[in-house]
Amino acid sequence: MVRRPRRETPVGSSEALRLVEVTKTYGDAENAVTALDGVNLSLPAGSFTAVMGPSGSGKSTLLQCAAGLDRPDHGRVVVDGEEMTGGSEAALTKFRRQRIGFVFQQYNLLPTLTVAQNTVLPLKLAGRRVDRARTEEILAGVGLADRMEHHPDKLSGGQRQRVAIARALVTEPSVVFADEPTGALDTRSARDVLRLLQGSVRLHGRTVVMVTHDPMAASYADSVVFLADGRLAGQLNAPTVDAVAERLAHLGDSVNDEMQAGV
Amino acid sequence: MFVLAMRSIRQRPGRFAATLLSAFLGAVIVMTFNAMHDTAGAAGVDDVSAESLTTAAAVVGGYGTLLVFFAVASTLTVNVRQRSEEISLLRSTGATPAQIKRMIVGESAAVALVGAVLAIGPAVLGGQALLDQFQESGQVAGSVDYAFGPIALSSGISVTLLASVAAAFLAVRRATKALAGARKERGRMRNLAAWGALVVGAASVSTTFAMDETDAAAMAPPAYGAILLAVGFALFSPVLLTGLLGRLRGPITALAGASGYLTVHNMRRRAAELSGVLMPLIVFTGMATATLYMQAVESDAIEASGLTKSVEDKNLETLNFVVVGIIVVFSCIMLINSLYAATSYRRREFGQQRLAGATPGQVMGMVGVEGLVLTVTGVFLGTVAAVAGILPFTMLRTDAVWPGDQGPGIWLAVVGVAAAATLITSLGTARGTLRTPAVQAVAVAA
Repeated sequence: MVRRPRRETPVGSSEALRLVEVTKTYGDAENAVTALDGVNLSLPAGSFTAVMGPSGSGKSTLLQCAAGLDRPDHGRVVVDGEEMTGGSEAALTKFRRQRIGFVFQQYNLLPTLTVAQNTVLPLKLAGRRVDRARTEEILAGVGLADRMEHHPDKLSGGQRQRVAIARALVTEPSVVFADEPTGALDTRSARDVLRLLQGSVRLHGRTVVMVTHDPMAASYADSVVFLADGRLAGQLNAPTVDAVAERLAHLGDSVNDEMQAGV
Repeated sequence: MFVLAMRSIRQRPGRFAATLLSAFLGAVIVMTFNAMHDTAGAAGVDDVSAESLTTAAAVVGGYGTLLVFFAVASTLTVNVRQRSEEISLLRSTGATPAQIKRMIVGESAAVALVGAVLAIGPAVLGGQALLDQFQESGQVAGSVDYAFGPIALSSGISVTLLASVAAAFLAVRRATKALAGARKERGRMRNLAAWGALVVGAASVSTTFAMDETDAAAMAPPAYGAILLAVGFALFSPVLLTGLLGRLRGPITALAGASGYLTVHNMRRRAAELSGVLMPLIVFTGMATATLYMQAVESDAIEASGLTKSVEDKNLETLNFVVVGIIVVFSCIMLINSLYAATSYRRREFGQQRLAGATPGQVMGMVGVEGLVLTVTGVFLGTVAAVAGILPFTMLRTDAVWPGDQGPGIWLAVVGVAAAATLITSLGTARGTLRTPAVQAVAVAA
């Protein structure tokens, strides 16, 4: 069950997400793969962080553990001062829908619901009041106010992803997790989506964590956290496309140095 | 392609289970009743016995062929749809549509053959039991010896094989057509078929009044009429379901909250797909209710007239019960199979709902409400079809319009079976689907 708020930091702190020694291993004892190996991470509220690393570096696992979609074997995950504890899936779902929003590469909109219905679905599921004006406002914020009654199959990929962002923001979550949000989009739609995510941080003070393999996407973030072999391998503030690409290219050699530096 | 077909059966025997079961049960029924032809054909069987035996064999044998066809077609359609990924993979590796057709047809022929061979043993025993039944009720002389011979074997195997191959052919043709994007024509054909079934059904029910009251065959027109009406309603069910959900949106959402909200929107959009589930449900309810009540009315009428049942009456009674039994079993298989497939096909959708914040309980609630709406719709339409057959028959056979002497017990039992099959299958399947973590469930089809 979700415990009553157990404040990890003084009240009023601006820490949105904290991972403490998070470890996750897949497979059985003989051919175990360590996806995350004692990861510590602390992200302030109102930050836009990109998580990067080569395939198999554990970035998706990091996102899933941090977002409560998967359970770490060891370690703690604290969202907005409240620790996520192992419980029933129902308890975990309730924890997530209060504090966490998701954006996925494959949008994951429900094909049977309209744009407006998809957007307010998290509120409906949580049994909260749905305000028509608020829905319009949110969809206008992602530039889709004129598409409210359309079904997702009538929208382009970029439009679908913007609906997904509107849906992620509708509950005003503490953290929004985005897993390769631009992975299936053309460059122009990708830019629109990234600007929206950036705007939600800068204008509305949301916290966004985005997993990506694209340096262009990562350059929209305030900082980039690199991951290699399940461990943190450095951080880059105010990233540019070139700096990120450069860092990624040499990620393999720098793992050990960075570990010693104790990111 | 045949090698590929055999290999795919050996690798994944599980997904052929429903097809095999349909073929097996169909073959058992066809062989059991055709063994009566063998028995009647032996030397020294008197005319009355021979007639009882051959009537049973002809009627049920015919039914059996149709049912094998429908059941195998239904299970294969589901099977082919579930394998759309594999089929498009084969297409992209260079398989021609004809080769894919041969693979699917080859698979179903092999499954049908296995089903038919497995059916021989049970059919030998079943035929013996059936003959005992006939002899006990006096419809067949006690001196008649049981024979399970060439007619039973050859008809059982050939009927099962032919029906399966034809069903596979239709299923794969529909699948490849769907891939090519042909849709409209089907809608019009469907409407035509639906109106045809309703018109012929109504006509068949009406001819009941032209029948001679004492004719044992008087039960046939209303019974067939009820089946056709049921099929017609089933074909129109998408339209009816959409309308019904429009009306019930408020109450369902009020009673079942977010689960009900999802149910209403899902079912309205998926109404056309749901008719595949509603068809067996409506036919089952209509058939079982109509036949059982008519038989009850008939038995009471004979009793009231002070006569004892003739051999012909008894034959009819036995046949009715057998036919209802067969239809019940087959509709149940079709219902469970199509519902199982339709529900497990939605793994991704359930995952998306969970990612949007639905608890497992809310997903189960949605599936449960859907099951309830399906059951209510199916039972209602099936009952209307049944009543349309029962009323004329009751008016003909007794002085009343309504079979007042018969309680609601039979109907309640029929409804109970329908509700149990629908709810247990959909909830059970959904529960299994929910064991996969939401993120993986969403990734499967991506």
